[in-house]
Order: sequence, then C-alpha cells, then structure tokens
Amino acid sequence: MRGLALGLSLLAALAPMHAQAQSAEARLAAYAERVERLEDEDAIENLQATYGYYFDKGLWDAVADLFAEDGSFEYGQRGVYIGKQRIERALLLFGRLGLGPGRLNNHMQLQSVITIAPDGRTATARWQGMVMLSEPGANGVWGVGQYENAYVKERGIWKISKLHFYVQAMADYDLGFGRGALRLEGPSALFPPDRPPTEVYRAFPSGYTPPFSFVHPVTGEALPVTQPADDVARPK
Amino acid sequence: MRLALPLVVAVLAIAAAPAAAQSTDERLDQLEARIARLEDMNAIERLQKVYGYFVDEGQWTRLSELFAEDATLEIGGKGIFVGRARVLEYMQTAFGAEGAKDNVLAQHMQFQPIPDISPDGRIGWVRSRAFVMSNAGWGLPLYENEYRKGDDGVWRISRLSGPFTMYTSWEGWGKNALNNTWPDKFDPPPDLPPTTVYLTYPAYYIVPFHYPNPVTGKPFVPDTGQVGAYHRPPGTSEQAAAFEVGRLADGTQPIAEPPRDR
Repeated sequence: MRGLALGLSLLAALAPMHAQAQSAEARLAAYAERVERLEDEDAIENLQATYGYYFDKGLWDAVADLFAEDGSFEYGQRGVYIGKQRIERALLLFGRLGLGPGRLNNHMQLQSVITIAPDGRTATARWQGMVMLSEPGANGVWGVGQYENAYVKERGIWKISKLHFYVQAMADYDLGFGRGALRLEGPSALFPPDRPPTEVYRAFPSGYTPPFSFVHPVTGEALPVTQPADDVARPK
Repeated sequence: MRLALPLVVAVLAIAAAPAAAQSTDERLDQLEARIARLEDMNAIERLQKVYGYFVDEGQWTRLSELFAEDATLEIGGKGIFVGRARVLEYMQTAFGAEGAKDNVLAQHMQFQPIPDISPDGRIGWVRSRAFVMSNAGWGLPLYENEYRKGDDGVWRISRLSGPFTMYTSWEGWGKNALNNTWPDKFDPPPDLPPTTVYLTYPAYYIVPFHYPNPVTGKPFVPDTGQVGAYHRPPGTSEQAAAFEVGRLADGTQPIAEPPRDR
C-alpha cells in the first residue's frame, strides 16, 4: 500500500508541469507541498541525529523528550518499552543519567532513507548505526546495526513514534567480529519490557536482515526479506 | 568534471535574474526548477544509500535493479563491468548467494555525499564514501558515481566507480594494508580493463572530483605529482613493490571472508 502511494506521489511530482494549464495559485500550492516534504525530511534527519547525540552522552531525559507520548523504544533483543516515562526509566539500563567516568557510548546515525506518508503526517526511516562502546575495566566494543523507525508529526513537530535498533553485530575491539563476537542482551529482569522483542534473531555470526521499511527506489516494489534458517529461532 | 561547470553557471543565472522583469509564470517555472533540483539531489543520494543497504544484506538482484540497463560498474582495480546483467553476475559470483549469510558481516556504511544535478535535470553525480566494517577487517571505498533520469522520470545508477582508499584485516591499518584488486584476482573477469591503475594505502590516489572547488570555482586537475601513486602500470617495479605490502601468503585479498593467516 505504502509502495503504491509513494509511487503515485512520485509520478505526480515528476509529471511534466503544463504551466499554461495551471493557475498560479494551483502551482504555488503544489510547490508549497513539495517544499514541505523536503522540510519534513530535514526535520526527521535532525530529530534522529539529535537522538544519537543525546543517547551518546546518557542524556536519558532529553532522549525521552524526543518521543511521542505513546512512542515505543526497542534496542536489540531487550524487548519493547512503551510510553515516554517507561522509556526514560528503561534507558537507565544503559548506564546512569549522564555519561559515567571512562565510558564511551557512541551511537552514530548515518545513511538515512526516509519515507514520508503522502498526507505528511507520518514517516518511516532506516538508519545505519555504527556503535563504539567503552567502560572502565573492560575492553572497548565495536558494533553495528540498523534502525527501522517511525515518526509522527504533531502540531507541526516531528517526534519519534517507534525507535527500533536492530543490533546486528557487536565485538571486542581487539579480537574483532571473527574471534570476539558478543551475544545480544535479552529482556531485563530488573525492569522488564512491556512487550517481548518484535522479532527474535541472533547477532553475528548468525545472519539476519532487518526488514526494509522503504520500497525499491527504481521498481517501487516492497522489499520482503528471506532470513537464513536458525535451528532455534527460525527452524525449517 | 567539466560537466559540473555549466551547472554552476546555470544556478548562478537563476539566482541573478532580475525578478521584476519576469512574468509570474516565469518565476514559478524557476521556482519549480529549484525544487526539482533539491528533490533530484535527494533521489540520487537515496539511490546511493540504498545501494549500501543492499550490499550489507546481499540483496544482489535488487541492487542490480538500481542500475540502468547500459550502466557500468568499476570497483577497486577489478576493471569495468558493462550492463545491468553483468553487475548482477559480478555481485553473485564474487560475493556469494542472495541474502544475509551466517559468518558474513560486510557493512558498507554510506556517508559524506556531494550530489550535483545537470542543468537539464537529466544527469546527476555523487561523490561519497563508504566505511566498510566486516568480519574480515576494515575498508574505505570512495565513490564518484553518475546517475541518469530515465524517460519514465526515475533515477538510476548509470556509472558506479568505487576506487579503494584503504583495505586492511582486523589487525588494522597500522600493521597491515591490502593491495588494490586487479582484473583476474577473482571471478568473474571484467568486460574492460580498469580506467586507471592506482595504488591503495599506504600509497594514495586522489580520485578526480566531478565538481569544482565550491568556494573558488576552480576545477581539480589531476597530475602525476599531485595525485600520489598514479599511473603505475602492471609490470613496473613500483607496482611489483606495492604487491608486497600486506599481501596474504596465497596472494589473495578476501572480501567479506574471515581473515586468513599469512
């Protein structure tokens, strides 16, 4: 559905404009909408980049403020936390408020592919998330994964309605992915999530493709994914 | 690179035209051209980012569908593949079956794009880079790509050029550097030889820019003094020496495979 709608809106945007056939008012209205979509995309980029900057430094209250009231937060296999207050408390599982001494919590936000709904009220985006972690007494950690997020525009302001970071691989800094791959953390016993993980998977060395929210940019087709078999999570 | 100059001129012309002398329709035409240019730049950046995600996940058929029917692809020192079908063959033969695979991590994180669009809105260019984080180690491809808008109004990759800056095993670039690839290094063979013979880190090669310096407007003109290890053809002692750097015992440079001992 979304693919069809996007395809149609693309066609509408790309159709040759017959200036003479359209009133100046109609043209202005069409251009205003196209500019608004460009601005929406910028606003969502800034929102997600800001999430990264706040998350890096353990600014959990500021992170929670980026979410819609009933927004959800899901990181790896930790399960889903729903609502700003629950999210803010769950973020303390990543460390105290404010970054502790000797800690590095970098979560880079790269490679956005943003899809804004035709009505301009909601959006989805995929992001590449490179991770660099450190804490006192432990070796550094490399990580990578993809975000598949959703956003909602409320009273002209974009907010995160769903944040889902599919952690794909984590590894010891020196050993690397080949020798030092780390397992994903499961749901916390200390502060259990509101829902179990949306999708069950293992990190590297198991292969797993986080599902694509966007449609193929050339064919306009949706991008369903076939996952490799997993004896436990996805038995044949 | 020259192609980008008319673009700058066209943009300046739009900006400098006196508004008072124009009809409303003319001003609206110009406004639409500026909006379309922003949308087009987003569209070609998006193609490049989606290309990266498809590489990450081994989505080779979908990746090939990002390319125009007559597109070319050239990565590292491997040579040129001509046409969408050969792009697909290259990916499937060199990098394995479709889809995510156990024991393979090959993230090609895409960033730092410089997009430009031709004055007629039919051709686009992006200079950008990838940071490769794989189970085998680290890599730095750079891209100078060309995109074309088809008669159907859809942008496609018409030329993907991905010369390498640096590839290394998990030992890191301080201890190990892999030499550039070459046409018969792995299957399949290319249709045409490499555009340029160049060396990767610890040598360097400055990939020509499709656009001029954004402040001075001066084009970047490559010459052998300026671009480092440039034009060292196979068979020369310089190239032979480079092959000793970081070369694995069996002479291969695995991509997306676990590192092998020397």
